[in-house]
Amino acid sequence: MFALIEHAFLSILASAIPASTVIVLCATGVLLNERVGVLNLGQEGLIGVGAVFAVISVQSWGVESSWLALLVGMCGAAVMGSLFAVGTVVVRANQVLLGLALALGGVGLANQLGTNRNGTPIPTTSLFTDIDPGGAFTSNDVLEALLAHDPITYLAYLVLPAVLWFVLFRTRHGMTVRAVGESPAAADAVGASVTGIRFAYTVLGSAISGAAGAYMVLTITPTWSPDIARGRGWVSLAVVIFAAWRPFRVVAGALLFGAMISFETTAKARSWDLPFMSAGDMGFLLSMLPYLVTLLVILVPAGAARLGRRSRATDAPAALALPYFREER
Amino acid sequence: MTPRLERRLDTDLRRTGVSRLLGAVTGLVVAALLLVLTGRNPVTVLTDSLDAVFGSKRGIEGVAVQSVPILMCALGVALSLRMKVWNIGSDGQFLAGAFMACGLGINVEAPGWLLLVMMAVGSIVGGALWIVVPAAGRAHWGVNEIITTLLLNFVAVQLVVWASLGFWRDRASQVTQSTRPVPVTLPRIPGFDSVSIGFFVPLLLAVVLWAVFRSTKVGYEIDTIGGNPRAAAFAGIDVPRRIIVVMLVSGAIAGLGGFLQLTGAPGAQALNGGGFSRSYGLSGFIVAALAGASFPGVIVAGLFISAMFYAGIALQTKGLSVYIIFGIYGLVLVGVAVGEVAARYRLVRVVAPDTSPSIEAVAP
Repeated sequence: MFALIEHAFLSILASAIPASTVIVLCATGVLLNERVGVLNLGQEGLIGVGAVFAVISVQSWGVESSWLALLVGMCGAAVMGSLFAVGTVVVRANQVLLGLALALGGVGLANQLGTNRNGTPIPTTSLFTDIDPGGAFTSNDVLEALLAHDPITYLAYLVLPAVLWFVLFRTRHGMTVRAVGESPAAADAVGASVTGIRFAYTVLGSAISGAAGAYMVLTITPTWSPDIARGRGWVSLAVVIFAAWRPFRVVAGALLFGAMISFETTAKARSWDLPFMSAGDMGFLLSMLPYLVTLLVILVPAGAARLGRRSRATDAPAALALPYFREER
Repeated sequence: MTPRLERRLDTDLRRTGVSRLLGAVTGLVVAALLLVLTGRNPVTVLTDSLDAVFGSKRGIEGVAVQSVPILMCALGVALSLRMKVWNIGSDGQFLAGAFMACGLGINVEAPGWLLLVMMAVGSIVGGALWIVVPAAGRAHWGVNEIITTLLLNFVAVQLVVWASLGFWRDRASQVTQSTRPVPVTLPRIPGFDSVSIGFFVPLLLAVVLWAVFRSTKVGYEIDTIGGNPRAAAFAGIDVPRRIIVVMLVSGAIAGLGGFLQLTGAPGAQALNGGGFSRSYGLSGFIVAALAGASFPGVIVAGLFISAMFYAGIALQTKGLSVYIIFGIYGLVLVGVAVGEVAARYRLVRVVAPDTSPSIEAVAP
């Protein structure tokens, strides 16, 4: 019995880590946008565009390397992101409206470009493969679950947050970036280019969100399917709130969501049930669970902080979703 | 004399409205140009659309039937927009309303009219319940309502799928993947084949909301909160309480829309998985954004979007992909957002040599 539980736990862990990579990447993209005060609700669209361009590059443009396909996906999302940045940062229009437009337009564009590609698999030679030095990881169940993952997962979990944390909190440039998100007027007054920094980080963040989409089709499900993001973009936006806009907490929040997803998959595959609920009903209930848990994890800390002294609302960059007009400074 | 753009310090509702509309039209024109690029003739698409809508009584009735759920969701969104609260979850509230109405309809034995009233009340409660958590989070803990309302859409879809494939599934037949149909429907409007009296509900509701915001204290307070919540709090308005009430009513309106769809639309008398709402919340949001939270505007924009939606469905049989509608919605939103900004600029002629830093040009 114990061995059975341990095995189930390991298999959930093993699939939760790569499942969360998508969320880690997308949420990191969101974090970059929001740290400079740009609310980018278009994540679903960016994931879709990133995924479809990665698929197209492999299937039609003769790209064989998974790294190059990832780059193509990121470029596609970056182009969409720069259109969004023109609207939000240069023209300074309403970020909520344009974000939803990007979500709709991106999903529409990706689905349109992906027509006729449904289910056509990407050759395994173009996929990312798990790191396994000399078979050392696969020789042990625990090591395999924890460490035998593809390089993108390592990048997303360790390298990206570390670099981001260092740049944001330990460099002068990072301080300027955060200032643009907290108080663009002050950043402007000391000579930082608010428009330039917002534009650059919006495009960079969009490219990383696009990498999330490209990663999906280059590893977990190596084929195009319509509406590929299936809510992951919205969950990523929630994860950033949970993470209080900090890079390593994003990893923790994403892992929680990924664990829910793989718990759901494992429970369905093994027909787990409860004394008062059949396996079929459990399946339906479990499909809701990831979204309910996401909702809880952003509400509960906020409510708890409210009971304490500190107001949670101060965690968000103060100028989030506010266009900056120098004339109104 | 070089003309340049200068930012206005005042806002004018009429000017903003016109500018927003111009923006939306520009979005549609861009969409037409994109259709040309994909090798379609936009004139044919337009005439086909007009023909689908106005060519027959069926088309006009189809638009009227579509408009009920879209208008109900739009009115809910527009109400919350009055206090700058973005309710993106009206699709979930719509489904929750339909879920409650359906549950009562197929499980309770009651005379027809009483059952209809119970279902209507149930749908209102369902829609309000579906937004109560986001409302409390926003009002008391400052949690952004955009994400929380949206996450609940996914939960609502799963709930309806569960109901139609699980606990309320019609077990009389092996093939059906839906609940039993509800036993009662709203009467049809005399002279129409498919439009129920539910069509009048959003129209009446728009008038009521318009009157509330025009001449009651509550309406004025809500607009004050929308304008400046801090000032409203200083003026003695209980802001968190108002936010909760407005969000609950917003959800309740969308929920009632679920009841109207379930009992009014032809062929929609049962919950059939996620397909019960054809993204009505999304269309409703577009309508509210277009109308800029003006209730008469919601009706006009809502009928327009419903006609477009209906034409889109009709044209799918002619090979126009459903994704194009998404794209067009996106372009309309871009047009509205840019139009809003443009309304705050004016062209001025600069006589003296201009040495001040240039302002980024913004044109609609």
